[in-house]
Amino acid sequence: MRPPLVVGVDVGNSTTEACAAEVDDAGPTRLASSLTPTTGVKGTPANAAGVVTAVRKALEAAARPGAVVDTVLLNEATPVISGLAMETISETIITESTMIGHNPETPGGEGLGVGTTVALAELGGQDGPVVVVVGAGADFDDVAHALNRAVEAGVDVVAAVLHGDDAVLVANRLTRPVPVVDEVAAVDRVPLGMLAAVEVAPPGRTIRTLADSYGLASTFALDAEQTRQVSPVARALAGTRSAVVVRTPEGDVTDRRIPVGSLTVSGATRSIDVGVDEGAEAVMAAIGRVAPLQDVSGEPGTHVGGMLAAVRDTMVDVTGQPAAEIRIRDVLAVDTMVPVTVQGGLAGEVSRENAVALAAMVRTSRSRMQAVADEVAAALGCDVRIGGVEGEVAVRGALTTPGSAVPVAVVDMGGGSTDAALLDRDGRTVAVHVAGAGELVTKLIDSELGLDDREAAESVKRHPLAKVESFFHVRHEDSSVQFFDEALPPHVFGRVVTVTPEGLVPVPVRRPVEAVRTVRREAKRRVFVVNALRALAQVAPQGSLRLLGSVVLLGGSALDFEIPAMVADALAPHGVVCGIGNVHGTEGPRNAVAAGLVDAHAAALVAP
Amino acid sequence: MTTATGTRTLTLREIGPAERGTRPEEVVIALSPAFGDPFTKTIVDVPHAEVIRQLLAGIEEQGGVARTIKVYRTADLAAIAHFGAKLSGSGIAVGILARGTTVVHQRDLARLSNLELFPQAPLLDAEVFRMIGANAAQYAQSRSPRPVPTRNDQMARPRWQAKAALLHLKEFECIDHARAAVEVEPVITRVD
Amino acid sequence: MTAVEPRPQTAEVRASKRTEILENRPVNLDGFVEEWPEKGLVAMESDFDPQPSIRVEGGRIVELDGRTREQFDFMDTFIADHAIDVDTCEQAMAIESVEIARMLVDPRTSRADVVALGRGLTPAKILDVVKLMNVVEIMMGMQKVRSRRTPANQAHSTSAKDNPIQVAADAAEAAVRGFAELETTLGVLRYAPLVAIGLQVGGQVGRGGVLTQCALEEATELDLGMRGITAYAETISIYGTESVFVDGDDTPWSKAFLASAYASRGIKMRFTSGTGSEVQMGNAEGRSMLFLEIRCILMAKGAGVQGLQNGSISCIGVPGAVPGGIRAVAAENLVASWMDLECASGNDQSFSHSAMRRTSRLVPQLFSGTDFVCSGYSGVPNKDNMFAGSNLDTEDYDDWNTIQRDMQVDGGLRHVREDVILQVRNKAARALQAVFAELDLPAITDEEVEAATYADSSDDYPDRDVLADLEGARSVMERGVTGLDLVKVLERSGFGDVAENYLQVLRQRVSGDLLQTAAIFTGDFVPLAAVNDANDYAGPGTGYRLSGERWEELKKLRHVTSAENPEEEVV
Repeated sequence: MRPPLVVGVDVGNSTTEACAAEVDDAGPTRLASSLTPTTGVKGTPANAAGVVTAVRKALEAAARPGAVVDTVLLNEATPVISGLAMETISETIITESTMIGHNPETPGGEGLGVGTTVALAELGGQDGPVVVVVGAGADFDDVAHALNRAVEAGVDVVAAVLHGDDAVLVANRLTRPVPVVDEVAAVDRVPLGMLAAVEVAPPGRTIRTLADSYGLASTFALDAEQTRQVSPVARALAGTRSAVVVRTPEGDVTDRRIPVGSLTVSGATRSIDVGVDEGAEAVMAAIGRVAPLQDVSGEPGTHVGGMLAAVRDTMVDVTGQPAAEIRIRDVLAVDTMVPVTVQGGLAGEVSRENAVALAAMVRTSRSRMQAVADEVAAALGCDVRIGGVEGEVAVRGALTTPGSAVPVAVVDMGGGSTDAALLDRDGRTVAVHVAGAGELVTKLIDSELGLDDREAAESVKRHPLAKVESFFHVRHEDSSVQFFDEALPPHVFGRVVTVTPEGLVPVPVRRPVEAVRTVRREAKRRVFVVNALRALAQVAPQGSLRLLGSVVLLGGSALDFEIPAMVADALAPHGVVCGIGNVHGTEGPRNAVAAGLVDAHAAALVAP
Repeated sequence: MTTATGTRTLTLREIGPAERGTRPEEVVIALSPAFGDPFTKTIVDVPHAEVIRQLLAGIEEQGGVARTIKVYRTADLAAIAHFGAKLSGSGIAVGILARGTTVVHQRDLARLSNLELFPQAPLLDAEVFRMIGANAAQYAQSRSPRPVPTRNDQMARPRWQAKAALLHLKEFECIDHARAAVEVEPVITRVD
Repeated sequence: MTAVEPRPQTAEVRASKRTEILENRPVNLDGFVEEWPEKGLVAMESDFDPQPSIRVEGGRIVELDGRTREQFDFMDTFIADHAIDVDTCEQAMAIESVEIARMLVDPRTSRADVVALGRGLTPAKILDVVKLMNVVEIMMGMQKVRSRRTPANQAHSTSAKDNPIQVAADAAEAAVRGFAELETTLGVLRYAPLVAIGLQVGGQVGRGGVLTQCALEEATELDLGMRGITAYAETISIYGTESVFVDGDDTPWSKAFLASAYASRGIKMRFTSGTGSEVQMGNAEGRSMLFLEIRCILMAKGAGVQGLQNGSISCIGVPGAVPGGIRAVAAENLVASWMDLECASGNDQSFSHSAMRRTSRLVPQLFSGTDFVCSGYSGVPNKDNMFAGSNLDTEDYDDWNTIQRDMQVDGGLRHVREDVILQVRNKAARALQAVFAELDLPAITDEEVEAATYADSSDDYPDRDVLADLEGARSVMERGVTGLDLVKVLERSGFGDVAENYLQVLRQRVSGDLLQTAAIFTGDFVPLAAVNDANDYAGPGTGYRLSGERWEELKKLRHVTSAENPEEEVV
């Protein structure tokens, strides 16, 4: 007769892992493990389906499909629910169409032209210098012809602003070259009869005069007070290759903070209100001041308030606890920059505005794992037991990594939260969960690159980058070059791509590899590295990382191609040995809890 | 989008045999046997003069340079474009049939592959030809253009399928196996 | 610059108001061209088609339609060696064409006799015969020579977003409305396994015994068939000239081999061809469209397949633009049936801007009845139709039902009450939800099920996580999921009746019933094919007659005033 078949199952936020083993007096003999997506929110009865699938898959992997299971061991899952929100906290507003500061791919001509704005149809007979404004539907040959004729007739044409993508074409056909700015979608809103300046920098350079407060002052003969007022214009134009500034009586460019609501962070003894528009640093500082955090609420009627309420509502659904009993136990705020279309812009200008991303986390002690256990028992017709606390079991599983020793800490970087646990020399464990993990990284990448495509952002997060330089070679982000015998598919030609196991996938950005890579690494650093340190500091003896000894990284993110190294680098100055878990020397950073459950069960059998 | 005033005619002035170019950023425009002569407009009456003018404008706007060749030995679009790509200094060519069907090709690709294909000639207007030219120039400069949005119209079949077949047959009639490809200078003259 | 823009009018010449109205009629958005017979741009009457001839020596055809064996191209060889009955051909060819044409029309000549005679005819002779027939005579002929007694219909069920839930719900609705076959295809080909599963599950929810297929490149299409995820195959294209065949890297023999691969697993299959394809590709070799199509029909017969989808299909714009073109299309359907093949008779592609032309194009097949009047009718709004639109779509359901009732003809469909439609759509979506859950495929949410119940087009569904779906589709292929696995999963998840229907379809693969000509299933899984439901039309009062229970069913429409109580409508 075969020894009893035991399956340990770990229900995680995104994956459910199983470890099948035969257990007898000699201890457990592990047969196989499996991985399947978690069904429903962790800690709810919907998990049962995923548990059954995971058990079935593990048995199939063990070549014992349909075998009779003696016992299924479930972890006591701590439901941790996280929510994400992002608030833009600065904005640029242009009034009276005073400024066009965009980067058309191909402006025409070079230099600075200052004159009065005139519509193409009205051109002729003007006295002073003129800036010609050309509306939609004009042909480049006709425009160039009209400008040349006007110049011949004695009009001092000093610049042109076009609707279509025709600047180079028009500039190339002018008898007297002037700067030309094109692709101004709302060109019909450019005020006519006003003094305007048009500047185009040579290829690869940025404008000098209009992007400088005193340059603007000289151009428009401004006094000191007026110069102070136009300085936001100069700032807004910095870094562009071409620009138009129109001097109108009331025209202005403002650069302002958007009030987006405040957070009330409450500790055991006091509460502090902090405005989200003060930035991530201020929010995190406030949380630090009230530590340990008891709850957080958002100002009602604001987006932040709405986001925190949504997290709370989900938790009410999951646990059945009343809303008043739900507490937000951690918040991570991260500063970020997002591309935003400028209000009042004429050419769809985009400015990079400050934003704050927030991850919040709710935790409850009450889980509904018993309901899961009952359903699994009914489905599989076997005994189902709810085992130890997640953090404890994980740390025991991690200890089976060859080379690890007590005291040992684990960091499990998941999708919604980053978890840390410590097993000290006395056999005691402490565990914490902090808000912010993989999903926040994806969101940061998505918004900072302006992708608006979660799948693409996920791909950037997970895979290294490369640039396809020809049909037969790519340059990887580490500048190594890889050649191919067969031509690469046409849709990746010339593009920045992610290098995935399924092949090269184009990233829909027009930025160089280096810029995308920086965004990716910064997002990971600001979430995973910051959170690993934050979580470890909470479990470390006296909050000192130096006293941790060794740290084992677990979970899906420990399989990431760069996160483990980034975390290890950050821990190195504290004298901590940090590495990727290898549960039982075979499982890698996966299966720590599932295997840990089986081990604990076997140990209990031997020493009742 | 720009709509030219007045009408223009296209003359293809023969310069000499079509040869391989050396400028690394050049785009070759490869024309089919019936393009420009004897035909003068696409299936939806876009004048060939305008097709060429917009392709060249798209290339020029992106800072590129173009050479135009005319092919006589085949009326197969893929073959025309691939032949052009092999002569192109950058390896990029735009192939175009008299009825307007267009493809952007690269010399390292298989003949039947492509960078961008515009199979529905009835949906190609001056604006699209401008964008095709601009994209070809960007490919030639190793930049990453956004592919020209493709249009689709299920009702193109009842209106244009037979005329397309007719034009295809006429184009095949213009194949001259004895005549090698030539480089041409497109001369666009305004007549009004 | 799109096809829906009216034709530009010359500004200078003043036109009458009536001309203006006529100019703006939809029919003037259609394209029409003059014939060019030298190049094959002609429907069926061309001086450049060959004269019929045949010569047999030593039990072998040595001359066919004016060519001797040395002059044969591979189509001639294949037809001479595999499609024409050597024993009877000289006798058959000796009969005057007009006599044969009259036999086709005359109800007193039996179907068996004209089919037997047809086995001995060459392509040019067949053309010579049908050239003598006007469109009413063609319909008379079709009424007699189609294989199956009971006419049927086929639907397209596709999604512009390749959404498998939409495909399942629309398949269920199409099935309950009466379609006997359902066909799908993809925008993103990698989605195929999930969409094919959606089609199969949805179809079996709507009505047991519906047959499904997924049009793909040949290898994947065969793979899905062999796994039992689809039940038949149709998109195996053949052409009338050697040059077009060769351009596609194919020969009649390679297509015949593929046909055998399907037959070896008991899978129903038919070839596809149609007038206009060769001239469209510029290789008609100077022959008329119908002559080349007749060569295709004989090639299909020679390859031993049970049926053919023809009626110009994707090239309909070409015959549609030349004089007599739609008559030629009706004639090609007739010839396919006459050659004893199941005929899925087209009416399946966007044909005209004019509703009148769309209807008149349909009349020959709908009124005389064919094995599948449409192949297929768009069971989704045309904008979701990934076969590039059909001649009829979901908006035309009520018109179609009304025409059936007006003319007392059976086009295979029926009016179904709203509550029944909602119920099958919902159940199809739930069944697919359960299948996806059991197979660890990306979950289908309750919101999606709700959307599927009430939706019209793909716009009405929440967007799917496409990458996750494609990964799921890949895993279905890698794990080797078969039709039997799907049956088990349906059974496990409480859709026992759907599982039972699906299992029945798979069982027929073993019994081979689907290999009989023109086989379909009734809702009770009774196969209807040329062997047990043979067309026995022999003039008025014979053959398929719309009567009894079926006629009562077809009398129902969305709004019919009750005779008993005129203040109410019949439900």
